[in-house]
Formats: sequence, structure tokens, C-alpha cells
Amino acid sequence: MRQSEEDREKLGAPPAHDSYLTDGTTVMSWLNTRDHKRVGVMFLAAVVFFLFLGGVFALAIRMKLLYPGPFLFDALTYNRLFTLHGVTMIFLFMIPAIPSAFGNFVLPLMIGARDVAFPRLNLASFYVYLAGAVLAIWAMVHGGADTGWTFYTPYSTTTPTMLFPLLLGVFVLGFSSIMTGINFIVTVHTLRAPGVGWMRLPLFVWSIYATSIIQVLATPVLGLTVLLVALERVLQFGIFDPARGGDPVLFQHFFWFYSHPAVYIMVLPGMAVISECVATFSRKNPFGYKAIAFSSLGIAFVGFFTWGHHLFVAGQSVFDNGVFGVLSMFVGIFTAVKVFNWVGTMYRGAISFKTPFAYICGFLFFLVFGGMTGVALATVALDVHWHDTYFVVAHFHFIMVGAVIMAFLAALHYWFPKMFGRTYHEGWGLVAASLIILGFNATFIPQFLLGNNGMPRRYYQYPEHFQALNVASTAGATLLGFGFVIIFIYLLIALRWGPRCEQNPWRSKGFEWLTESPPPTHNFDRIPHITQDPHDYRTHAPSGVYADV
Amino acid sequence: MAENGEHHSALPYFLVWVALLILTVTTYVTGRMHLGTWALPLAMIIAVTKSLLVILFFMHLWEQKGANRIVIATSFVFVALIISLTVADVATRFPLSTPAGAPFGTDIPAELEETAPEYQPPAGKIGEPPRGVPQPK
Amino acid sequence: MSEAAALPPGEHPARGADPHLAHHFSSLERQVDASRLGMWLFLCTEVLLFAGLFTGYAVYRYSFPIAFAASARTSEIWAGTLNTVVLITSSLTVALAIHFVRTGRQRAAVVCLLITLAFALTFLGIKAIEYTAHFHEHQLPGRYYRFEGVRLPGASMYWALYFLMTGLHGLHVLIGMSVLGVIAWRTSRGYYTPHYYVGIELAGLYWHLVDLIWIFLFPLLYLI
Repeated sequence: MRQSEEDREKLGAPPAHDSYLTDGTTVMSWLNTRDHKRVGVMFLAAVVFFLFLGGVFALAIRMKLLYPGPFLFDALTYNRLFTLHGVTMIFLFMIPAIPSAFGNFVLPLMIGARDVAFPRLNLASFYVYLAGAVLAIWAMVHGGADTGWTFYTPYSTTTPTMLFPLLLGVFVLGFSSIMTGINFIVTVHTLRAPGVGWMRLPLFVWSIYATSIIQVLATPVLGLTVLLVALERVLQFGIFDPARGGDPVLFQHFFWFYSHPAVYIMVLPGMAVISECVATFSRKNPFGYKAIAFSSLGIAFVGFFTWGHHLFVAGQSVFDNGVFGVLSMFVGIFTAVKVFNWVGTMYRGAISFKTPFAYICGFLFFLVFGGMTGVALATVALDVHWHDTYFVVAHFHFIMVGAVIMAFLAALHYWFPKMFGRTYHEGWGLVAASLIILGFNATFIPQFLLGNNGMPRRYYQYPEHFQALNVASTAGATLLGFGFVIIFIYLLIALRWGPRCEQNPWRSKGFEWLTESPPPTHNFDRIPHITQDPHDYRTHAPSGVYADV
Repeated sequence: MAENGEHHSALPYFLVWVALLILTVTTYVTGRMHLGTWALPLAMIIAVTKSLLVILFFMHLWEQKGANRIVIATSFVFVALIISLTVADVATRFPLSTPAGAPFGTDIPAELEETAPEYQPPAGKIGEPPRGVPQPK
Repeated sequence: MSEAAALPPGEHPARGADPHLAHHFSSLERQVDASRLGMWLFLCTEVLLFAGLFTGYAVYRYSFPIAFAASARTSEIWAGTLNTVVLITSSLTVALAIHFVRTGRQRAAVVCLLITLAFALTFLGIKAIEYTAHFHEHQLPGRYYRFEGVRLPGASMYWALYFLMTGLHGLHVLIGMSVLGVIAWRTSRGYYTPHYYVGIELAGLYWHLVDLIWIFLFPLLYLI
């Protein structure tokens, strides 16, 4: 490797040519792109839309629950709404949110690659996602389903609502997820730039890599499961039907073999973003790089051994209950390793309290409290009390939604300058962040209390003495909604009128900032040669130079 | 391609093929001998041997990179995982909570067949408090 | 690749010489490694897709051992055994096709691929005969089970799994056949050279997986 003065200048040089945004501005140049950055931006637009849709469903549910008796709409509509809320948020928002949108955009940049390994497959993954989404929306428009997003048999095989297209939609979305997962794994294996060894992968890449492993291993089982339910509806094979010798608990085994690891598909990318942002905004090397990296793989692995804790009261054997209860707690160990390392990174760092950092704090709070209640729920005896109550609802909203939304927003603010070359209004960013964190707590802390007092989930009506806490929860949800509206407005303004930023506004040592913001079409004029470990804040030198050919 | 030219002869493929045929005959013969509890383990050992032959030689895993080996090994580990922990549940369950199996010829009567009953809106008007819900003292 | 031409000059002077090399890979070896790894990951998803059905089989076989053993004995064992031989031999011909492409004998490779397609058709034909026999005997899943030979609870579950597993496998045979058909056509047009044959190699991997699944289905469904 040779290194010249010209190379160094190049690192801070202004854009000399078209960025990926201006290289072709027709609609077709976007729809037919092979560029991972454009695919990432299209995914981002799609998941934001579905976040909005799922949010509207959530607010509708909360509005109904303002009042104990029948209110606003009838019980069937209520059942459809919580089903659609779950399906939209999980399959259309949370699973693709960070890996497909931000992962697509920054992962190749972070390993110094020009694109993902299979660019056409990447674009196909977006269209398959859209196809699945269209099927799901079609089902929603034509009446929707009322089973909840878990599709438990035998109800799901008999309900007269429009479940079939919804199941097909979920099946198709699984393909999109698998395509992204395969693409990322192969990209990390084969497209690392010179100097990027495995122990120099940015922490974001490690977590996304672990996520991809889960996507590849778990998603096929979900595909098979929804296919079996769909077949059961049409042909009545009886495979999950106790009246025909089938075992409905087997469905739950299948379903949670995917869906429990799937919560790590959602939260590991969140951890990925946080690992990245913590180092940047503390201006300090990550405390325990290897521990954070390997705990991601640990979560991916152990996450597969825990699915049975959803079946504690479903008739699963006492032996399996015990096994799964114990195994579930191992996830807590790996998560705790990460939390301690993040806090260790912040300790005595030069913290700059920007909007992403506010979301980091929110993330830590939600992850720790959601995680602790999770460990409690993995205890069989306690779960018997809390199962299918609002306690569970609050728990998984804390750990999945809270953590994922915090990380998603942190990523959105952190990489907004990278993606669009402009900056947003920092003051409004902090206002919205505090509104959202406050609103989230106000929504779900009352639900913990409701659940502990015995209010079951998914019920249309409830006893009157639960009303006060339900009103508090709805008020929190409204606050949350306002927060999102503010973010939407100021980011749209920033997109159009925001001041142009320099290449690396956060002074981050992440490898993705080595190229211009927004990056040129092929990411790097020349492939960078990485000369430092990731997130190395001990020096001011750029973390890589452009290798001469 | 790195391994270009290493395979001048097609003979190994024929050897593997013959081995697979022999194993097929073995599993067929032992399968018809009604070996009782040993039938399943034996059949599975033969099937695993056959699949290893196919993976290593027909699919060239023998000469490929480590990552590909890890991938296929991992997938088999997770197959074992889902099968073992699910069967462990059925095997240790309270006997009456396992499915009994549909008795022959007594399928569900037609009137109990088919979908759930039509949806009936709950009694009471929209805007009224719920009825029949116990209130705390 | 046209995209390679759009790159700034000075990057990888050797590239552009090879039409197979995509712009974002540094060398053809890397690109081939990537394709292979991608295919193995895809095969991994296929294995786990079938894993669900194998789990279902294990659970119900554990619950209804006698009904499963009795039902397996009434299956068409001759057809299953014959189909095993057919699939194993078709695996051999695919492996030979790749071997011939590697050693530059395209015509022999095309012949091998066509033989493979013929074997695949044979497999489906035998399967169709079997399915017809089962339909006649009412050896059918769930509510349609009316086979007088085995009147045990759980027998219908054996047939549910039989049709699900062989059906899904048959679907994979069909997909594999279309892939091999395209590959055979492309081989005959000289797409694959001893220098670059990853397409036919990946198609072969898929076909071997189809064989691999059958290797497990055969003893489970027909013999024990």
C-alpha cells in the first residue's frame, strides 16, 4: 500500500461528481436500480409508510380502549385491527426496518464494498417485499383477519375472515427476508476491502451478520407453517386439528421456532445501530469490541433454544417448560454483556448529547426494563400469572418496539447526513426524542400495571376499574403519535431545505464516512485500504486510505 | 477456478453411485426385516451415510471452502434442534394432553363441520358499559 | 458488464477483459465463491423448510407408532425403491454433466443433462402411478381417509404427512427440472466454459439437494 498526500486530501474533498441521488433522476432509474443505496432508500420509504399504517391501527385500538364498553367500532373490527396492527408492525415494519433499509445502505460502505454481493437479488428482495405487502393490504381491504398476528390453530383454520391472502402475504415476505439475509452473509464473507479482517468489522456489521444468520435459518420454518395453515383451511388435512388427530401445540412449536428468533431479527439490528452510535457520540473506542461482536452471535444462537417459553400454558410438557425456561435466561446474559459494554463505552467518554444519543438512552432504558421483565416471564410460575395479559403486551412492546423504534430513529438521525447530504434541525430533534421516549413510557408502563392486575390482552371490553390506566395509556400513545409527526415534518423539511453538510458531520470514525455524503454511485472512487480498527478514536487520522491499484 | 484440472477422471462419481446403490439395497433389505426398535436408527444411519456421500462428493463439499461446510453443518444442527426439543415435548407430556388420533370412519359430523359460527355483535349498544363483568368490591 | 465500463479509469486494469466479472468483485474467484456460498445458504433454507415436515413426522410417528408402521407397509414400496434408484442415478448424471463442462466436453454435458431430465420425468411418472393407487384406495389425508386395510387412529395423519412431504418434494423436482432445462439449453449454446461454469454447478447443487431430501423420505415413508 502506498499512501500519498493526494490521498489524504481526497478523504476530505468535496463531491467531484454525481452522488447516487443525482446519478439518474427518472423514476425508472430508481425502480430498476442495482445500487444498494437506492434499494435501501426505497426500503426506508416503504417501512416508514408501514410504520405509519401500523401506528394508525394502534391509535385506533387505543381510542377504543378509552372506554370499557363497546365504543367507536364493534368487537370484530377491534379483532381485525389488532391483527392488522401486529402483522403490519412485525412483518412489514420491524423485520425489514433496520436490516433492509439501513443495513442495505451502510453495510457495503462499512466494509469498503462497491455493492452487496448480489445486487439483482437485492432489488428482487424489495419487490418481493412489496408483493407480500400488497397481498397483506389486499387482505386488509377485503375484511382483514381476526386471529392476531400469531395465527394460532385451530381458530385460524376455521375463522371465516380473510386469512388466506394474509398467510400468503407473510409467506412471500419471508422470501424477501431470506434474500436479504443471504445477500448480507455473502457480502460480509466475500466483499471486505483490503485491511478489513473479521476482527475489524464494524460492530454494526457483526450484528447484522448475526441477524442474517437467523433470517436464513428461521424464516423457512415460518414459510412452512403458514403454508400448512393455508392448506389446512383449504383441504382440511387435520395436521393441527385435534378433532382429526392433529396437535395444535405442534403449530405453536413451528410458529415460535421462527417467531422467537424473529424477535432477535428485530432487536439485533437495533443493537447494531446502538453499538455504532455509542462509540461515535462518546468519542471513545468501544469497550470490549470482541464481547459486543460475539454476544451478537451468542444471541443469534441461543435465541433458537428458547421458543418453548411461549408455550408454558399451552399444554407443553413440564420437562420442556423447565428446559425452555432455563435456556431462555441465557439470552439475558448476552444482552447484559452488550448493555454493560455500551455503558462502559460511555463511561468517561466525551459525550456529545445529540439526537441519536437521546435515542441511545431511550434504547438502553427500554432494553433493560423490557429484558428484565422478559427474564421474569421466562420463569414458568410467573408466566402462568402473566400469560396473555397486558403485562406480556407491555413487555414485548418495551423490548421489541421500544428498542427497535429507538434504534430506528437513532439510525435515521445518525445516517440522515450520510444518506442525503443534509442536516436536520437539532433542537426539534431533541424535542421529538423526548416526546417519543416520554410517550412510550406513558403508553406501556400503565399496561404493565394493567396486566399484573389481570387485564387480558386482545379483549374488546374490560371491567370499569381498569379505565383510568387505559386512559393514561391512550394519552401516552397520542403523545407518541405527536412525536412521530414532528419527526416526519422536520425530516421532510431537512430533505428539501436542510443545510448541506460536510462529509463527516459527526466526526465519526466509522468506515462508511470515508466516502462522500451522499456517496457516489459506486461508493468509492477507489477501494479504501483500511488501516485502523473500527471506531478507533485514539487518533485523528482517517481510518483508511485509498489503495493505489 | 482453483480446483480446475484436479478432476480428470469421472471414476469417483461412479464409485459413489455404486456405494449409494448398495446402501439403498441395504436399507431396503433391513427395512423389510422388521428389526423393531433398531429399524429407525439403522435406517437413519444409512440415510445419513448416503447423504454424506452425496454432499461430500457429488456436491463437491470435500474440495470447497470452510464457510460452505459450516453452512450445511449448521443447518443440520438446527434440524436436529427443532426435531429433538419438539419430540421431547410430546414424549414427556401428560398423556391425556397428547392428541388421541381420529378414530376410523367416525369423521366429524357434518353439522359440527366447517367454519366457526357467524359473528354476532355483542349484546348492548355501542357506548354502554360492559355487562356481566364482575366489579371489585 | 456495462457497469464496469462506467467506473473511473485506473481501477483494476485487468477487469473488463472478463465479461463474467461483475463490477463490485475484485476477481472472478471471489465472485464464484460468493455465488457458491449464496447457493449453500439457499440450500440451508431448503433443508430447514423440510425440517418442519420432518418434525411433524417425528411427533406424529411418536404418538401413533403402530398406525404409522402399518400404513408404511401398505405404501407402494416397489415404487419408492425404484424412485430412489432413479434419483440417485440422476444425481450421478448431473455430477457427470458438471465434470464434462469442467473438462471442456459441452456436448457430453448436454446429453447428461437431458438424461437427468428424463430421469426426473420418470420419477414424476412413478409418483403419479403411486398417487393414483392411493386415491383409488382412499389412502388420503384427514377427512378423506377411508382405507379399510388400516383402521387405526393416526393412520390418516401418516397419509397427511406422506402427501405433504412427497408433494413438497415433487414441487422441488419440478423446479429442479425447469432449472436444469434452462441450464441444458445454455450449455448447448456454449455459455459455460471450463473457465466459468458456476451456473451449471449451482443448478447441480440444487438437484443434489432434491436427491438428498428423498434419501431421507424413502426410509421414513416406505420402510419403517
